[in-house]
Amino acid sequence: MAWAESIVGALKKHNVRFLNYVPDTKIEKILQAARQLGGFEALPLTREEEGIGVVCGQSLGGGRGVMLCPTAGLGNSINALASLSIPYRIPCPIIIGVRGDLGEFNPAQVAMGQATQDILDALRIPTYSITREDEAEKITDGALRICYASEGPVAILVTNEVAGWKEGKAKT
Amino acid sequence: MIDRTEASKYLVGKLKDELVVTSLGNEKYDLRSGGERDRNFYNWNAMGMASSIGLGLAMARPELKVIVYDGDGSLLMNLGALATIALREPKNLIHIVWDNRSYAMTGGQPTATAYHTDLAAMARGAGYPKVERTETLEAFKSAADRALTEPGPWFIHCPMQEKPVKGGGLPSPTAIKHRFMDAIGARH
Repeated sequence: MAWAESIVGALKKHNVRFLNYVPDTKIEKILQAARQLGGFEALPLTREEEGIGVVCGQSLGGGRGVMLCPTAGLGNSINALASLSIPYRIPCPIIIGVRGDLGEFNPAQVAMGQATQDILDALRIPTYSITREDEAEKITDGALRICYASEGPVAILVTNEVAGWKEGKAKT
Repeated sequence: MIDRTEASKYLVGKLKDELVVTSLGNEKYDLRSGGERDRNFYNWNAMGMASSIGLGLAMARPELKVIVYDGDGSLLMNLGALATIALREPKNLIHIVWDNRSYAMTGGQPTATAYHTDLAAMARGAGYPKVERTETLEAFKSAADRALTEPGPWFIHCPMQEKPVKGGGLPSPTAIKHRFMDAIGARH
């Protein structure tokens, strides 16, 4: 997937080394591209909130990590963002695989997917969407720049427009 | 039962360049009363996050020992961190858990450890290779001495009786961050 390779290329350009994740089909594409390029360490988490703590710890140590998760996982991360990354001003880039949007088959993904932008806006977290393959590099690069400049969380949404939607079993 | 204030004083006296990350509970005030250190990262209100911050620090700075100063309530809120720390196995991580079996900052309501939950058993089950349960100050000193010199990850479970803590108040979050990062030469 060219969009995933572009994202990973931008991560490398900014010396991001740690890919902390809760999996998702889009996130798996990014992890595959990272394995191919090399030079990253992937850490699977039990829950996304943990990942915010881990990324912040890596940042405090002078390392660079990102949190990779689906939209549902953003819901699991909110208080860690609000009580750690934001008040302490710790860079925390979050790459979010969108669910509950265009083409969604799973009824239980929709509410969180549709609320994602409003939740990020309510916390004043700068948010950028990748909707086309040819802008994936620029958006990831630009989002990381503002993240390290502002020293706080920044979200990158990998949309279904660019990455497709998950095929699942329809309701019976 | 261990006196956390005494134990903290002993630990701080032993520390050199180690990093310490606290949970949001009263243990942070005991740590601070043992002697202020630039390499302490105090947590104002990130519930459950001390262990995860400690893991991230241990990954970014493998040359430094990282001590997590945690509480039973905080760990119970982020039990998955035990599994994640165990799978990553950072040899430089020391996870100390002060277990007063209560939410001391909100009125002393009981936590699960007041009933049937054994945090040392959970750490062992999660896969921590070094787990100690210390019931006395002497046992704590001996476990802390070993943890500071032998590879981990370590889990030191300290049952204790909560008592009023002296002190209180912390520098601002950004002041804590900048002081901590400056001390270890870290930049974002």
